[in-house]
Amino acid sequence: MTTLTDAPPAAPESAPKERPPRRRGRLTPYWLLLPGLLWLVVFFALPMVYQASTSVQTGSLEEGYQVTWHFATYWDALTDYWPQFLRSIAYAGTATILCLLLGYPLAYLIAFRAGRWRNLILILVIAPFFTSFLIRTLAWKTILADGGPVVGALNSLHVLDVTSWLGVTAGDRVLATPLAVVCGLTYNFLPFMILPLYTSLERIDGRLHEASGDLYARPFTTFRRVTFPLSMPGVVSGTLLTFIPASGDYVNADLLGSTDTRMVGNVIQTQFLRILDYPTAAALSFILMAGILAIVTLYIRKSGTEDLV
Amino acid sequence: MALVRWFKRHLVVIAGLLTLGYLLLPNIVVTVFSFNNPKGRFNYEWQEFSTEAWTDPCGVADMCGSLSLSLRIAAWATVGATVLGTMIAFALVRYRFRARGAVNSLIFLPMAMPEVVMAASLLTLFLNLGAQLGFWTILIAHIMFCLSFVVTAVKARVMSMDPRLEQAAQDLYAGPVQTFLRVTLPIAAPGIAAGALLAFALSFDDFIITNFNAGSTVTFPMFVWGSAQRGTPVQINVIGTAMFIVAVLFVLAGMVIGNRRNRQKA
Amino acid sequence: MTKDSSGDVRLSGISKTYGAFTAVHPLDLTVPQGSFFALLGASGCGKTTTLRMIAGLEEPSGGTVSLGEQDVTNLPPYKRPVNTVFQSYALFPHLDIFENVAFGLRRRGIKSVKKQVEDMLELVQLGEQARKKPHQLSGGQQQRVAVARALINHPKVLLLDEPLGALDLKLRRQMQLELKRIQTEVGITFVHVTHDQEEAMTMADTVAVMNAGRVEQLGSPADLYENPRTTFVANFLGTSNFIEAEVDTRSGDEIVLRAGGGKLVLPGARCSAPAAVGGKVLVGVRPEKISLTHADEAGGIPEGRNRITGRIADSSFIGVSTQYVVDSPVCPEFEVYAQNIDRDPRLVPGAEVVLHWNPAHTFGLDAAQSLLAGTTGSAGIETVAEEAAR
Repeated sequence: MTTLTDAPPAAPESAPKERPPRRRGRLTPYWLLLPGLLWLVVFFALPMVYQASTSVQTGSLEEGYQVTWHFATYWDALTDYWPQFLRSIAYAGTATILCLLLGYPLAYLIAFRAGRWRNLILILVIAPFFTSFLIRTLAWKTILADGGPVVGALNSLHVLDVTSWLGVTAGDRVLATPLAVVCGLTYNFLPFMILPLYTSLERIDGRLHEASGDLYARPFTTFRRVTFPLSMPGVVSGTLLTFIPASGDYVNADLLGSTDTRMVGNVIQTQFLRILDYPTAAALSFILMAGILAIVTLYIRKSGTEDLV
Repeated sequence: MALVRWFKRHLVVIAGLLTLGYLLLPNIVVTVFSFNNPKGRFNYEWQEFSTEAWTDPCGVADMCGSLSLSLRIAAWATVGATVLGTMIAFALVRYRFRARGAVNSLIFLPMAMPEVVMAASLLTLFLNLGAQLGFWTILIAHIMFCLSFVVTAVKARVMSMDPRLEQAAQDLYAGPVQTFLRVTLPIAAPGIAAGALLAFALSFDDFIITNFNAGSTVTFPMFVWGSAQRGTPVQINVIGTAMFIVAVLFVLAGMVIGNRRNRQKA
Repeated sequence: MTKDSSGDVRLSGISKTYGAFTAVHPLDLTVPQGSFFALLGASGCGKTTTLRMIAGLEEPSGGTVSLGEQDVTNLPPYKRPVNTVFQSYALFPHLDIFENVAFGLRRRGIKSVKKQVEDMLELVQLGEQARKKPHQLSGGQQQRVAVARALINHPKVLLLDEPLGALDLKLRRQMQLELKRIQTEVGITFVHVTHDQEEAMTMADTVAVMNAGRVEQLGSPADLYENPRTTFVANFLGTSNFIEAEVDTRSGDEIVLRAGGGKLVLPGARCSAPAAVGGKVLVGVRPEKISLTHADEAGGIPEGRNRITGRIADSSFIGVSTQYVVDSPVCPEFEVYAQNIDRDPRLVPGAEVVLHWNPAHTFGLDAAQSLLAGTTGSAGIETVAEEAAR
């Protein structure tokens, strides 16, 4: 994906001195960049400024809002909605780990074991994208329906007893529980994990496996010492591409969850579109953004792979 | 013992196929339930087989209107994002200029931002400007978040392109415009096409950003969202199934053409 | 004398710098019309930059480029009557062979290209492949397409940037002869950049050996080989043995030198260093000029030959010849190539031998330079420097 760190090679600064440069359009790059960047500045960066400003305003819908540097909004937002923040991070984190655990074998299968089925499986991974994700998420309502075959099977295997004890399901229901929300999040963002994993696994030279085997590594050791480290760029960008959208999602929590599974996205949506409390909504959104940026930056530092995504 | 060994050897394949099943299960459910004849307003429980919805896909009020609106928005958003994104990608790969790092960050950030944050802040802007929410605000928003993905796709292609090809064109009497039209553009075309396809899919399927910035305008995802509260008509499943089939056929056709080309060269 | 000079390439004081790094130092060079000229050097020596400045793909930091009487320094590449065969060919992947070859004609607004393109493809023996895409051709065929694509425009000068670098050895030999044939046939000036000394010597009339942005020596292949003027040239073209010696006497055309205990004779004309009596000179001799005689038969060596003694350290049989490494008091690791005509069975490692050669095959160089310049070990330093500067 884009390389954030590709430092521009040293420009030929002291180029021609004897003769004025005849260079065909030194301004060309700026003209090429202008429209698109303007778009991003006006409709992406500027809104952030407006949002920051809104978050420190007070007033009411009827009388209008004024910037009063009312930072208490942030404090109120955090004290009122910390459970939703924690839930967002917990659900998104769990879904990301599940995506990695579920996605890695499939990405590995496509990269190394699929043979002539490779393209077909890749299509099957991507194709669900073309069915509206809302329709597919609604399908989970059918799959996890009370008294349906899935819930029935989990019940008879006493899995639901364990999950109820853990507090992620309630009684013999799966719908409207944290488990359903995490299951939906995992499902929705799984392709975002599989594709980067596949891309970095596919680049690995198959002979490395043979070399590793030749040097007395058992298959699992080969995986742990050779394959997995080499797929790290895919792991890092896959986890980011899963975690970031999952943490801000409110569709799964709304369709598959209950009022007890509301995430910060639900709160922002409600504050903004139903209650019309713009300062609180803006503050919440700002906290979410800052939190995500902090986590992403730390994560990228830690994993040492800066040229990704 | 042999069974255990077989199981061990194929563990990855089994796990991978289970994940694939997990990914495809909802699509199967969507397809099966497009033939349902539900009793109530919601299509969540199987009642009886019926092809009624397939014979009358537009039989639900407003659904096909929202579908055509989504298609129109997606088409324009694709055009806008592809043109702007391609220009940025070329500037990034082919030219050296100041503030490169800042430009890269501005491209990267929209992809690293939860949708709800972008949606809420864009709505703040529109509210402050007193803009009329509707088709245009949706289109603006879609071009904004599709742009970065197009840049990424086109950039990858242009970066892998041998700069000597353009030099060869110049050496063979093609001026800058000719070089771009005859050599650069045709070679970058697959990357641009990939970016455009991605933009179309993202725009067509977007819900969160649209939900914030649509006002009372209803796109197809918003129709589905609304029906989740009011009642889900079977026709939604028909559209979902049809899109899945069209997409798979589209990709398969592309593969067949690609294979035929490969065979020609052999 | 009405010699056509419209195909002359004249470089006057041309140079190229990237920031603090100088890729090409101010350089004067004239390539006469119709000649096959090679720029030879290790990667990063500035030869490709020089070529690209002639093509117009690189802007000189100073100096001018002229073709015939026309100053083309400020012309963009698409307005210069010059065409290039690019390294790894740069064939347009989205066009078939016919369209690749027709590209230049079409850009100049020529409508009926069919006949010309077909004739050109015939010349390079690719008539059958006209409708194939470049990736469907072999390396040698792609190379010929690249040549055809450039030549069809009847350029005044054809520039070749490592045109054979991507081919395997056998094919490269074949293409060397092929290119030479085409050049003789069309009679236009060829400027050829290569790092392969054998390639340059096989094909070119004149070779310029470049090192670190400068031309070290310019001349015919035989002249460069027999009379290198620097250790770089002596090592880069083939192999050389060097002996550090002191000038003993100088009489007319002959310089007598002292090395170790013995005396060596060097023709004055073959010494590029100022050889004052008592001064130091590097004595060079090519390995194949040397004869090897077992020490027991040293008496049978004719008078008047340069001779030194040593012990065989290593020998390797490589078919046409046997290569010996001889340790001598005046020069460790002296290399000798002996034809396998009458092999003396006593010439095995450990044997005491006398090395002797005709003084006319000796050359003298300035002693104040690295003995290793131009050997494989020292090449590549400039590459790193250049890449760092880019």
